[in-house]
Amino acid sequence: MIKICHLYPDLLNLYGDRGNVIAFQQRCRWRNIPVEVHEVSIGEALYFEQYDFVFLGGGSDREQNLIAADLMRWREELKDAVEKGLVLLAICGGYQLLGKYYLTRAGENMPGLDILDFHTRAGDRRLVGNVAIETSLGGEPVRLTGFENHSGQTYLGNIRPLGKVLSGKGNNGKDGREGVLYKNVFGSYLHGPLLPKNARLTDHLISLVLKRKGRQDTLKPLDNTFEDRACAVMLRRMGLL
Amino acid sequence: MKINLFCAVVTGRMVALASRLSGHGGSSLPGLVAGKIYHRCLHDLAGQVRKGIIMVTGTNGKTTTTNMIAGILEKARFKVVANYEGANMASGVTTSFIMKAGLSGKIDCDYAIIEVDEASVPGVMKELNPEIVVITNFFRDQLDRYWEIEKVVGVIRDALNKYGYANLVLNADDPLVAQFGRITRLPATFYGIGRHGQSTATSTRTREAKRCPFCGAALVYDFFHYGQLGNYRCAECSFKRPEPGLVAMDATVTDKINCRMVYNGDEAQLAIQTTGIYNLYNALAAFATGLQLGIDAAVILSGLNRYRPVTGRMENFDYRGKPVFLILVKNPTGFNEGLSALFFNQRKKDVFIAINDNDADGKDVSWLWDVDFEILGNGQQFFNSFLCTGKRGEEMAVRLKYAGVPQDKIAVDPDMPSAVKKILDGPGKQSYFFSTYTALRQVHGILEALIAGGNKK
Repeated sequence: MIKICHLYPDLLNLYGDRGNVIAFQQRCRWRNIPVEVHEVSIGEALYFEQYDFVFLGGGSDREQNLIAADLMRWREELKDAVEKGLVLLAICGGYQLLGKYYLTRAGENMPGLDILDFHTRAGDRRLVGNVAIETSLGGEPVRLTGFENHSGQTYLGNIRPLGKVLSGKGNNGKDGREGVLYKNVFGSYLHGPLLPKNARLTDHLISLVLKRKGRQDTLKPLDNTFEDRACAVMLRRMGLL
Repeated sequence: MKINLFCAVVTGRMVALASRLSGHGGSSLPGLVAGKIYHRCLHDLAGQVRKGIIMVTGTNGKTTTTNMIAGILEKARFKVVANYEGANMASGVTTSFIMKAGLSGKIDCDYAIIEVDEASVPGVMKELNPEIVVITNFFRDQLDRYWEIEKVVGVIRDALNKYGYANLVLNADDPLVAQFGRITRLPATFYGIGRHGQSTATSTRTREAKRCPFCGAALVYDFFHYGQLGNYRCAECSFKRPEPGLVAMDATVTDKINCRMVYNGDEAQLAIQTTGIYNLYNALAAFATGLQLGIDAAVILSGLNRYRPVTGRMENFDYRGKPVFLILVKNPTGFNEGLSALFFNQRKKDVFIAINDNDADGKDVSWLWDVDFEILGNGQQFFNSFLCTGKRGEEMAVRLKYAGVPQDKIAVDPDMPSAVKKILDGPGKQSYFFSTYTALRQVHGILEALIAGGNKK
């Protein structure tokens, strides 16, 4: 049984990010891999060792602050789980939260969970639009597409990005990097949501989960016609196909 | 006569004529040009309205509510200016006035009733002083443009407090709207719907406003109508659904709406020829506005009875005896309400969905994942086929697949005319067409042509 933990689904629910959980879950089901989703919200106890895949989305500013405070209680446990290879996907505000701090426009320093080596600064203008990036999954280059909408600009320290920007802004609109990748932690600004149409990334995450559970079998291939076409439409529009 | 107003109006009229001749129905361009020629154009035109200006804002139901209020006022024999076509940014509002004005810039009208896009409220309120402001509801809508709901609420609150002398007409059932009774200094009347057969104990997943806007504690509900609309109270502080002065009791919503309207110790039976609980809210908003203006209830009711849906607001057609529906979809809540119509009867349906991602549709299509398409996956016996089209038709196909609709029932056809024809001629007993804003006009045009051709034979 694969156990998914959807963190704060009632609060971090902007931009259809729940689609990531739906995609992960469905692609398991279509392969007859048993899967269940646990929704965990503010004030509830969190035991990361119980879960195989954790999803953390983005929310509005007010909700983001509530969550930061709540999640801080589990900071040590989360850091420990990440070091042990927990498969985690964090999008937008959830991604920012994993870093050292967020510097607001007023100069206020909002501490992050300080699990990964990066920080975020409020920018002057929002970075909004379609994005395509190239990443590497299992040694193969894969292009991912999505939509970004963030005012925070993220700067990575001694840590690698999820991919390089082919079109769009990415982490900060300056250094051509998008997202973060550390062990089995994937952080990204890409909404869309990210997983449904980028099926190879979803399958990569499922493989990582199965590997951690000691199963080495390769995933049964699925028909990805719709997913690939949806990506191709955007790649073509961005002049990449 | 003001020479600059004259120039602005004449030029605006010429732009309107030119864009009509070139086949573009663009309704905001004339106002935009006129406003550039004379920046007080809207102010001067609106200033001539004799009795008052009524402004309607909120996420869903603006166009329908505006049309219903206009219908009531016309029934009461007033002369009315309204922006019927949903052109609701400042420039579209200006166009509506220009088209009603004589070339001299004179307007002969008792009431102006205008729908205003939430983000345009400050700009429009600066130019005209509404006597009544109606707020319908707040849902997540085109977030890449407006960001978060709290910001939208804040923008409207600030505009009302800065420029307003208006009476507010507010939806009591939406905590996001009802809070305006407190966060502004303006007098307010409320409308709402009582518990009825389709009220539920829980709501769909994408509900907004789970927490009290004043203290942040959880809101507790007796029942929901849809989204966050229902009978709520804060678990901690004194915030709760205000007692509405106008309530719809014993509502039944099938392919038409019936209910008992209770107000000021009086009551009346309402029957309207359109469907969806959201349209009952629109009728309530219009009814409450009519009462506020001192119009007789009998006149209000007969105005509402005459209401017929306009383009894409659950517009219905007949194609060789087959019922065909066209529904504009702009955001998750509206789409959810539209989907619920698919379950009113057991007949098999063919479903068309056109998704564009132009500016007016919202460039980010991720909102499709906040729509509960999962109900389609669970109700497959009602459906033959789903055909997706528009600039992001492929994305829509992915969404349906992950909602559990079998892949062999889903197809993508980027060619709009061919897609419309396939669904119209589908084997189902009914055809449903869902479309985002910028595809709507095209879909509507193709539908009308095919239906006219098909019914002749």
